Amino acid sequence: MRDGLVLGLIPETWRFELTQFPWVRRLLKSRWMPLGLILFNVFLFTVILMAGFFGGLTSPGNYNFGIMIVWILWWVLLMTVLVPVLSRFWCTMCPLPFLGEWLQRLRLFGVRYERGRNLYFGLNKRWPKSLSNMWLMNILFLATTFASGFFTVRPAATFVLLAAIIALSVVLSLIYRARTFCLYVCPVSGFQGLYSNFALTEVRVKDPEICARHKTKGCVVGNERGYGCPWLLLPYAFRRNTYCGMCFECLKTCEYDNMAVNLRPPGVDLLVDEKRGLDEAYKALIMLGIAVVFFVTFQGPWGTLKDWANAATLSGYLAFIGLHASWNLIVLPAIFLLFTWVARRAARQAVPLKKVYVNFSYATVPLGLAAWIAFSLGIILPNGSYLLHVLSDPFAWGWDLFGTAHFPWTPVLTGIMPYLMILTLLVGLLFSIDIALKIARQTFVEPEAAVRDAFPILGFLGATTFGLMWLFVG
Amino acid sequence: MRGQELLAVLLALLATVGTITVALWYDRSRDAGREVIELLAIQPKNGNWQPSEIRLERGRPVRLKIRNVETVSHGFALPDFGIGIAEIKPGEVHVVDFTPDRTGIFPFYCTVWCSNEHMAMAGRVIVTESVARASSNR
Amino acid sequence: MIRTLKRLGLTLLGAGALLFLTSVVLAWWPTRGEERAITIVARRFQYMPNIVRVRRGDTVTIRLMSEDVHHGFYLDGYEVQTSALPGQDGVVRFVADKTGKFAFRCSVTCGAFHPYMIGYLKVEPDYRFLGATGAVLALFGAAFVAVSTRSASAGS
Repeated sequence: MRDGLVLGLIPETWRFELTQFPWVRRLLKSRWMPLGLILFNVFLFTVILMAGFFGGLTSPGNYNFGIMIVWILWWVLLMTVLVPVLSRFWCTMCPLPFLGEWLQRLRLFGVRYERGRNLYFGLNKRWPKSLSNMWLMNILFLATTFASGFFTVRPAATFVLLAAIIALSVVLSLIYRARTFCLYVCPVSGFQGLYSNFALTEVRVKDPEICARHKTKGCVVGNERGYGCPWLLLPYAFRRNTYCGMCFECLKTCEYDNMAVNLRPPGVDLLVDEKRGLDEAYKALIMLGIAVVFFVTFQGPWGTLKDWANAATLSGYLAFIGLHASWNLIVLPAIFLLFTWVARRAARQAVPLKKVYVNFSYATVPLGLAAWIAFSLGIILPNGSYLLHVLSDPFAWGWDLFGTAHFPWTPVLTGIMPYLMILTLLVGLLFSIDIALKIARQTFVEPEAAVRDAFPILGFLGATTFGLMWLFVG
Repeated sequence: MRGQELLAVLLALLATVGTITVALWYDRSRDAGREVIELLAIQPKNGNWQPSEIRLERGRPVRLKIRNVETVSHGFALPDFGIGIAEIKPGEVHVVDFTPDRTGIFPFYCTVWCSNEHMAMAGRVIVTESVARASSNR
Repeated sequence: MIRTLKRLGLTLLGAGALLFLTSVVLAWWPTRGEERAITIVARRFQYMPNIVRVRRGDTVTIRLMSEDVHHGFYLDGYEVQTSALPGQDGVVRFVADKTGKFAFRCSVTCGAFHPYMIGYLKVEPDYRFLGATGAVLALFGAAFVAVSTRSASAGS
């Protein structure tokens, strides 16, 4: 697949500027955006927290508003639409750091700005350089999934998780500057960042020339119209979606209207060699690994495994954690290492193994995303009908707000679900092959040999796809 | 600017404190003017119906809120007043309104095989003429 | 190198397409099935047996028994369902005319892990999986052909 074309069809540089429409630009420059969305989600999460609190430990998750909205609706939307299409648009409207950010700014709507800089409440410390990567999020997310058997079925567990995240975000907002919590701590931030590299949407600078001549850089330090980039990026220079939280502050602060929101072809950021590292490589593999563990545990037919994840016995639960952790942290990364080692040997070029490993890990992202989408279909299609129940009776107090409180469990489209899963995996594989071939050319200098050198990686992708197909439909 | 800031704060309060208040108020208001008895469906080995004895006054409208607090389905039948709920799913609450028109002792049962001791899952409603207060509220 | 790649690509493409076509033809090939009677015991949160294998065309009668509480049985793709209480069995009967792996799920809330209570019905031979495998091979084949063609045109 020729360089510069996504799937050999669309130029990688193709962009469609959404902000060319005046009403979109006006909307994104208003300080009610994203505040309005956040406020709506604050309302939604208040209900979720209440339902989790009153739901307790014993009432079943499938009739609990908190569990259904968070783990059935939100999680599935995140994996199927929000991240692959809209990048970090969830971060745009996420209500969890709302309180922390309010305390930091002491304003919800307005901007505090004096003598050339924004004013913040709190210590505003810098986050340690050694933690300014995805490792902490890798560990925290993996640790969160250890308890997935509780969060997804016990209302109180979801309450505790959400409350802990909110509390942590408030504390960290008072100690560290801007969105440090979101950048380097939030468990679900890491995969959103990595998978956003695939997304169809981006916030980018329009004309770098203008920024080069412009010295005051309101997008970085802030001005009276908005805050300096809360995600600590240089809006005029960044090239990957990973750490852009899509808060749209830079659209407000730019004096030359030089920031744009674009549509773009999928997967282009995976080819951008900026801040690549082993932390992101591990994130890619952990996500792939967790998708497998989740499917085997929650959509597989093995009751023993479910008893383990449900902590029916302590030894079983420890076995679950042990297997889950070692598969994700050791086995899968080691398998991938084997394939990259062969690739490097085949290349007969003096490229460090670590570079080969890290670079090619980005080729697994589309396939990993596809695995998650396929898994999500298996969650939402059979169980989506419970949503109607919880909307009418959010706290299980016998309400019937919309007349759907006794709507029976109704699986939707589960007959064609396997075909949708197959199709999703094939599309993911297609993009993964495309990216792998291009990364081969980036990594190994000699272009003729690059395709041959990519063979072991293609082998990994093929084997993984086959394994996932077998697991999901075989 | 100032007005919009105030509006934002107001909306934030409405979304949090407001939501909680409205939810609690709405739940309270639904039962206005009725005697409310919350009945917990619990299998015998975990303690059986709670309360297992319900005292009512003849002629006074009552609202039973039957809540299944367990993870298995239960049912409810109070045959003497023609009340039956085929299935109360785990976590669900079923609301039954009725006015006892006779005095006496009337049994109620679980109607779903919820455990091996299912047959023992029963309680009774005692309807009297007197002005005695009914047993439990919330 | 480019020529080898092209040849490999075409081979994979051919093999994949062949597998896919075979699966389509076989899926429509008429079969004569037999009567199958299967008892499935449900308890929290699994079915025993958890994987049921039948042949396409079989007429399947499934008797569902429960060991502990009220359990259900809903079969994806066939959309039949029943439920069982201890001592009160449920029965479903259907002709296994679609092949592949179909999940059967508990349709009565039976406990915390109720949404995860799943078993599989495998109607063999599984042409769906065969076809999917063919599609994966063909995808690789097509990718190799595309790469070799583009490399050749870029080189000339």
